[in-house]
This record gives sequence, structure tokens and C-alpha cells, in this order.
Amino acid sequence: MANTWGYGAMTNSLGDIQNAKAIIIFGANPAVNHPVGFSHFLKAKERNNAQLIVVDPRYTKTAAKADIFAQIRPGTDIPFMYGMLHIIFKNGWEDKKFINDRVYGIEDVRKEAKKWTPQKVADVTGVSVEKLMQITRVYAKSTPGTLIWAMGLTQHTIGSSNTRMAPILQLCLGNMGVEGGGCNILRGHDNVQGATDMCCLSHTLPGYYGLSEGSWKYFAKSWGVDFKWLQGRFKSPKMMSTKGFTLAKWYSGVLAGRPGEDKIHNAGTNLKALFVMGNGITSIAQQAKVKEALDNLELIVLADPFVNEAAILTDKKDDVFILPAATQFETSGSVTATNRSAQWRYQVVEPLYESKPDQEIMFELAKKLGFYDELTKGMLIRENKKSFKWPEDATDEIARIIKTIGLTGWTSKRIKKHTDNWHMFDEVSLRGFGPMKGEYYGLPWPCWTETHSGSPILYNIHRPVKEGGMGFRNRFGLVHDGVDLLAGKNSAPVGSKVKGGYPEITAKNIEKVLGIKLTADEKRRIGKNWKVDTSGIIAQKCMEAGIAPYGNAKARAKVWTFPDQIPMHREPLHSPRPDLVKKYPTYKDKPNHYRVDTKFMSKQSEKDWSKEFPINLVTGRLVNMNGAGMENRASKYLAALSPEMFCDIHPGLAANYGIRNGDMMWIYSPEGTKIKVKARYSYSVSEDRVFLPFHFAGHFQGEDLSGRYPEGTKPYAVGESANTVTNYGYDIITQIPETKGGLCRIEKA
Amino acid sequence: MSVNEMARMKFYCDDDRCIDCNGCSVACAEAHELPTGITRRKVITLNEGIEGKEVSTSVACMHCTDAPCEQVCPVDCFYIREDGIVLHDKKTCIGCGYCLYACPFGAPQFPRDGAFGTKGAMDKCTMCAGGPEETNSIEERELYGQNRIAEGKVPMCAAMCSTKALLVGDAQEVSKIYRARIAAKGKGVQSAPYGWSKAYGA
Amino acid sequence: MSNSTHNALSTKIGRRSFMKMAAIAGAFGATSAFASSNVTRAATEEEVKNPFPGSKKVRTICTACSVGCGITAEVQNGVWVRQEVAQDHPVSKGGHCCKGADMIDMVRSEVRLKYPMVKEGGKWKRISWDTALERISKKLSDIREKDGPDATIFLGSAKMSTEQAYYFRKFAAMYGTNNIDHQARI
Repeated sequence: MANTWGYGAMTNSLGDIQNAKAIIIFGANPAVNHPVGFSHFLKAKERNNAQLIVVDPRYTKTAAKADIFAQIRPGTDIPFMYGMLHIIFKNGWEDKKFINDRVYGIEDVRKEAKKWTPQKVADVTGVSVEKLMQITRVYAKSTPGTLIWAMGLTQHTIGSSNTRMAPILQLCLGNMGVEGGGCNILRGHDNVQGATDMCCLSHTLPGYYGLSEGSWKYFAKSWGVDFKWLQGRFKSPKMMSTKGFTLAKWYSGVLAGRPGEDKIHNAGTNLKALFVMGNGITSIAQQAKVKEALDNLELIVLADPFVNEAAILTDKKDDVFILPAATQFETSGSVTATNRSAQWRYQVVEPLYESKPDQEIMFELAKKLGFYDELTKGMLIRENKKSFKWPEDATDEIARIIKTIGLTGWTSKRIKKHTDNWHMFDEVSLRGFGPMKGEYYGLPWPCWTETHSGSPILYNIHRPVKEGGMGFRNRFGLVHDGVDLLAGKNSAPVGSKVKGGYPEITAKNIEKVLGIKLTADEKRRIGKNWKVDTSGIIAQKCMEAGIAPYGNAKARAKVWTFPDQIPMHREPLHSPRPDLVKKYPTYKDKPNHYRVDTKFMSKQSEKDWSKEFPINLVTGRLVNMNGAGMENRASKYLAALSPEMFCDIHPGLAANYGIRNGDMMWIYSPEGTKIKVKARYSYSVSEDRVFLPFHFAGHFQGEDLSGRYPEGTKPYAVGESANTVTNYGYDIITQIPETKGGLCRIEKA
Repeated sequence: MSVNEMARMKFYCDDDRCIDCNGCSVACAEAHELPTGITRRKVITLNEGIEGKEVSTSVACMHCTDAPCEQVCPVDCFYIREDGIVLHDKKTCIGCGYCLYACPFGAPQFPRDGAFGTKGAMDKCTMCAGGPEETNSIEERELYGQNRIAEGKVPMCAAMCSTKALLVGDAQEVSKIYRARIAAKGKGVQSAPYGWSKAYGA
Repeated sequence: MSNSTHNALSTKIGRRSFMKMAAIAGAFGATSAFASSNVTRAATEEEVKNPFPGSKKVRTICTACSVGCGITAEVQNGVWVRQEVAQDHPVSKGGHCCKGADMIDMVRSEVRLKYPMVKEGGKWKRISWDTALERISKKLSDIREKDGPDATIFLGSAKMSTEQAYYFRKFAAMYGTNNIDHQARI
């Protein structure tokens, strides 16, 4: 998504969905995963007569509220959307002006869409021609339309193509940068957006700065540490710029070298130590591998308010530490909601028992490891202090450094003021009233300056930049294949000094683009470009000129650095349709993918998986739990709503295997693993697939491990982890696991 | 407006909005610290997974106008407040279960033991209005849970309903809100759903 | 049975119209002739305002999902006594799903971890924070020394605050590795 138009985040807000005339949901189940968010969808239906369209492998609670529902085969969203585009282009329903002024590379998409006739789409996706036509007509004709997705699109080998395909559909209909439109990706956990923005990630630095030497130098300087020292902390300068292992496949880092395991490239060593803070790693695909990896580590540290079930899963007998981390209500800090709004999470009570907040654990360890001063120095710089105040000084440190997503305006003072006055904001537009007038709730980023309003709708050129307007980001150069990548005439934000497109602003081009003269003093203080300009001069001058510091370019439908320049359909590694695997094979194996040689083609072509494993396996969430369910199963009321692990199975399918409602059943995966769960008859799944919730742990391949919980810490519900049987398969770009389209075999237990 | 004209407290669950998130039932259990065996409020989904037919709704004591429970109780433990909230006295209740037979909504709950019904006295939704004990006393809280009505607050289930499907308040206000929603859709008022006449009177 | 209840029940008002008047003060704005009778006493003003005298209300944010629903936590003498309704929050309007409605249990759940532990010879053993951090840092230093910083992986969380996540990334950087990730990868 970031590769299409600059940022990979929800473009509008939940409240703004109320402005939509049509809502199409792919691979998301907000009625279960974001119930309060879904209330805005329901209001859109009531207020606006918005048509709610749900495309999902299951008839979910969200589907129960839909006007149109299409039951799609897992992993075929791209053909479905090409099918829609086929009909849209054929009837000329696309927004030609929008495409012409603000989109690059749509011709290739047009060509590909031409191939996806409704008949062909029906064959691949399992959705009838009539339904596809109906959905397309309703969605294309009811603008503005908003497109929603979540993990149902990302957790595929082609997840990163899926998340480009959806924006392309929206761009073609001119649904971007308008109220009631947008690509609204719903984030999972409470601070996925914030933690991602801070890039607790192996391939970037906070604010999505890359791992190049230039980025590291910027951070070393901003953190107040010597770059050489920081570089010296790494094994080598090369490793400093090399992406690390991911959460999805860290286990390979431990197991490499064993027969059949993927090869790794990790500075000559396997992983020996695992340090986990607040991460239910029992919700990661390939649970059996995760267990084996845990068993073979030298050190495991698990800091959580409840027992991290990695500690239960592993057979490791020594050097497994569990540290009682405080909950988020026993410390304070900011959190970023799915719509990029920041809120201040005030501390409610002091940490209970002996628990300590995460930062204290980090600081204590840093002291013992000898880099505490370096670690915390960044908090002292802004005001040249002797000691810091957590978390305010950390918030302000972030505001000082992170320019790429415009966090300059996110000072602790302002975020607190918004939370303190949350009653002064409008539900739909997020506009402030009274003393909060001129600001949007939570200052959705980019919030360019300390007086900026926040940007509730990304890429909206109908508002001035200082009130949250902007074009698409100029991120991919100025010209490609001889075509100008900057936005066309008359597509600049309202009130802009430049009427058309313009490049991202640097010290070099600022005078020319903005038509201003800098003083000698400004010239001395200004940073090299908008991303590293801590002086604030670029942002300030841009606001005055109505210019977005990151430029005004075209969104791109074509990503020339990806293996598929435009999104292409490729069957999952484990597909129930061998005939289609031949037609739409997956990628070649990818060497050194986040340090691991990752299988694609070799796995898919190993055999016809569907013969032995004929049933599609879909995983998802329950309303009473999230993630690995660690916290929720520790609540007696929530655990009581789903006290045991189960499998949703269509009675028709179950009957073929002699499985009755409530019987125990085995589920086998192509990986050679199995789980024993209770069958629950449900018509929400069709007869060719089963559904598993992924929140359980404490059982493993039929064995009850719950005797391993330390005394008094066993949650109120335990069960098999669905991820013991999810299949091998990882996204080609992000390495997100393919948990939403695998195969399995079932048996009565 | 006099009390008689205004107070007739009712619940109503708008099934166009109810998504079976169980926010109401957990909010209730948590607010009153109920034992896990007691479900004062429950969300029911019918025809789960059947396209076009699935419907969810939240059910608790509906505080009926002509409360059948009150009519059958052999020990007269029920009483109906002037505002229409149907309450009972746990100290009088003998746990016979007649009220459960009479109740069209399955509201009465019979715990084995514990704070909300020593000796098996019946427990049910109080519309967050406590019981006959002294208002906001510890005894009242232990037997019946919070008395939010006394604090001037909306009952917990409806206040925390994620989609505002569950409405509570004076019956006229509730129906006004519902009518406004229907009007906003431009489809006119829908026919009364199941249980309407029992729960809301004519 | 308390005295007041007993009195109440024995009065000769028809039991259907019997009521406890204290209850309908406040938002519902009702008053009645019964309010002044000695059948039941009216709630005191302090009770009507707050059954937890001296408590304060803290605005905070639900930790379940990314909607960011508001929570009003009622705290008395340092104890979170009640989860109140944040009716005026611009996104959630006081609404919660079941997870959010039960946020208070995150803090008061009985199965929380209460102290640091280590597994030794397959058995859990309680240790002090000092011992835990000492042993962990020793081991992390040794591994860093012997196998290099890339022999360690740090898995952070989307449940951390933004500041914690930022510092976790910085922590890994200063330990000397890019082996760091969190749940955005799933």
C-alpha cells in the first residue's frame, strides 16, 4: 500500500465511514474484530442507505449485516477485483479525470483486467457471474465507496499484491482522498499502528526510515550517540544494514542446519536467545516448528502480564525466564488508533504485585548491558535536561526525530490535551469544537508542525495542507519509462501556491518550488530534506505556501521493483485446485528473504497437495479474544464465552466423515502436524472448508500441557493452537504467513 | 411531567444493529461481579451462518408491564417500582423456579451458591437498580450488584453496547429513538418484533 | 432482612406499585410524594454522585483493538474499583465489545503473574527481579560475546505504547542487531 501512494495506513477514519454510500469489505470481519468500529458501518447503512458488500470465505457476523454477500474461495481476491475492474472498464464507469491526473500505470492494469472475464472469475473464485456483476454495479455506481480490509487480505503468499490491488480498484473509481471513500485497513491490536510507526520491525528504523548508513547516521545524531560507536555494536557495517529475521520465520534462525530446514544468512550464527515482550508467539504459523525452536534455544525471556504460553509449549528445562510485566493500565504513554490518531493512555493504578512496566525492564537491562546512558540520552536533548520524565520526554523525542510520517506535532502536551478534551470532537469528521477548534481528534498523522490540525483523510486535495490536505506522496522518483510521475494540472491541495504536481521538498529545491527566498540564517539551519529537517523550516515554509512537504505525485498502479509489477493472481502454495496451480503458479523460491531461504515454487510443486488434503483451512478471530488470547483467557467472563477450542464445520462435510456436532475431531496439515478439537456444526462455512479460531494454546497435538503452568497462573480456557496446523507459506515481500489459505485433512477422533 | 406519565423503564434491542459481540453480557457480569454460572443478560443468534436469515438479539429480564414472574411467585418476592423496573427480594425468594417457567425470556437465573444467591435464591437483571436493601449499601451491592439508577446512570449493558443496539429508558423515549432510526432509513416503521407486546404493553 | 425492607414490605401499598424511591433520582429526574416518606430513605447526594466516595475518574484507552475506545476508570485509594462508561468519547461513545467491557480484569485477574520465575531442571522457581535481570543480562552478554549480537532476536509488541515500542527498537539497535519484530508481521 505504501508502495502505491506513500503511506501504508488507513486513509480515512472510522467515523468517516458514515459518509460512505457503499462499503465493500474484503477479508475482514469488523463485527467481530472491531465491534465498536462496526457501529459506524451500521450508521452508514442507516443514515446514508449505504450498501454493505462483504466478500469473505465465511458467512461472518459482518456478512449477516450485509446487503450483498459473496462467498469467495480463500486467496482469490485478486481475480475477484480484476473481475470488478473488467466490468468497470467495459462500461466506462471509471473516474477518467482522477486516473489521468493522479494515477500512473493504469494501462497495464487495464490489459490484465481484460483477461478476467466474469466467467473466468467465477471459475477461480467460486462467486457467480451474476453476483460479481451485481456487486460491481452497486459499488461502482454508489460513490463515494469505501474499501475495508484486514488480515484476510494480507495473510497470503500474494498478500502484498492483494494490498496493492485494493488501492487500484479505489483509484480507478476516484474513491481516494474523499470523505466516505478511502482504503480503510483495520489494524488488529490496539497499538499496531503506533508500534509499526515506531518500526519494531526488522527492516526499518522508527518512522519507516530504511537501514541505510544515511538513516543510521541520522538516528545516531538524533539519539545523541556516536555513529561509530553504534556501528561498532553490530557484527559488521553490513549487518547493520541487513534486514533481520521476522516474527513469522524466526524459528528458522534456530533450526537451520537440520535436515529439511530452510537455510539462513545470519552473520554465521544460529539464533541462541529469544527476548519477548508482550507477544503471544503461540499465534504464529508453524507452531510445531516454533516449539522445536524454543526447545533448542539457550535462553528464553518472556515478559508479559500473564504467562506467555511459549513457556508452556517448550520442553526446555532450564533458562526459561518469565517476567511479570505491568499491564498498560499500570503505566502511561500514547497509542495510535487504526486511523492514525494518537490518544494518551493515562496510568490508572500503580503496577500490581511485583510487576514492572516494559520500559523499566528495558532500562534495567540496558544498565546491566552497559548502554543505559546511550539508550536514554535522546530524551534529554530537546530541552537539554539532566534527567528525563517517562513517557513524556520519550514522546517529545519521537516528535523531534520522526519527520517521514509527520509526527512533529505529536508532543506529549498536545496528545494529552486531546484525550483530556475528547468530548469536544465530532464523531464523523473528528473536527474539534470550542477550545479544540481547528484540530482533528488525536491529530491523525501526518501532523506536520506543532500547530498543524492533523490529517483525518489522506490524499485529500479538497482541503488546504494546513487543514489536513495533501496529494499523493512523491516517493518513487520524478519520471518512470519517460512518464512524469508528478501529479497533473489542477490536482494540488486547495490553497496551494503550486497548482499541479511538485517534488518532495529539499533544502536544494525549496526556494524554487515554493517561490521564496530563505534568509542566511535559515539556510544555515535547514536540514537536507523534509525527512531529516529537525529545524522545522521546511515544514513551516511548506505550510505557509500550502504545500505538502512530501511532494504531490501520482499514485502508482505499477511497482517496478516488485516481482509482479502489477498485482497478478497466484494460487496459494497449498491449493485445492491443481488445475489452477498450473495456470497461476506461485513465485520462484526466494533466497535470503529476511535472512531465510524461503520456499515458494518448490513447496507448491512438491506434489498435488489437494489429493491428500482436500479441505480448505481458514483461521480467524472470535469476538471475545484477540491475538494469542493470553489476556482474554485470563478473564473468567471472556473465557466462559468460548471455554474450549473448536472447529466450525458444515454439517454436510461433517457427515461424510461421521463427525457429529460436539464430537472430537483430528485436523491434519501437510506439514505432518495435527490437532484435536471439538466439532461445532455451522453453516457459516461451506462444505469445502473448515474454520478455526487462533486464540488457544496449552494443548499440543492432542496432548494437554496445562500441567506446566506455574501455580496459580493457568488461564480459564486452554486448547489446541490453530497455528499448529496452518500451512507453510509466506508473503513474497513482507514474509507475513499464509494462514488464510491452506489445506487440511479431517478425521473423527 | 408526573412520575406516572413518564416512568415505564424498558429495554429494547434493535436487531438491525446487534452483532452478537457480547459487550452487554460481559459488561453486566463484570459490573456486578457475577459468578460465571450466572448470565443476567445473554446474546442469542438465530439461524447462525444461514445467508439472509441470521439474526442476533440481546435478552435479559424485559421488565414486563404485566410481569408473569410476579404473578406466579408463591412467596411474593417480586415488586415493581413506580418506574416499571421489576425487582425481587432475594431474602424472601425460596428458589422454587416458578418464575422461570412463567418468564417468556428465560431471564431468572439460579446459582448454586455464592454472593448472588446464597441458598439458591433467584438472580436476574435489576436494570442496574439494586434491590430492596438500603441504596448503595454494601449489602445491596453484594446481593444485587451496582445501583446505577440511583446514581443517575444508564444501566451498564446499554451504556456499553458497542453498536447502540440495546436501548434502555422510558418506553416512549426508547421507541422514539427506534422510530428515528427507522425514519432515517426512509423505510417507515417496521412491524413489532417478537416479544414486543409482552415487554412493552400495548 | 434489613429493617427498612421489612418495613417496606409490610406497608399496605399494593405490591405492584411499591417502589424504592431513592432509585430514580438523577438522570431520570423523577420525584414523588413517596420520596419523603420514611419507607425508604433517599440516596444521599454523595451516593448519587458516587458510591465510591473520594474516587477519581481517569481517562484511558482500551487495550483490545485498534479502534481506540475510551475508558473511564474509577479509582479509589489507588484501587481500580469500577470501569465506568466513557459516553463522550468521539469514536466509541461509551460502547465496548465484550473484551473492552472487561478491561478492568486485565488488571485484577487472579491468574496474573505475580513475581519473576525461572525454569530450572524443568521446575518453576520464584526468583527476585535482581537475580532475574542479573542472570538474563549475563546470558545475553555471553551470547553476544560468543556468537555475536545476531544470535539474539527481540520480539516486541503491538500492545506496547508508542514510546515503549520506539525504545524497544532502540534497545535492539544498541544491542547490535536488526533481529527485531512484532505482530504487524502476522
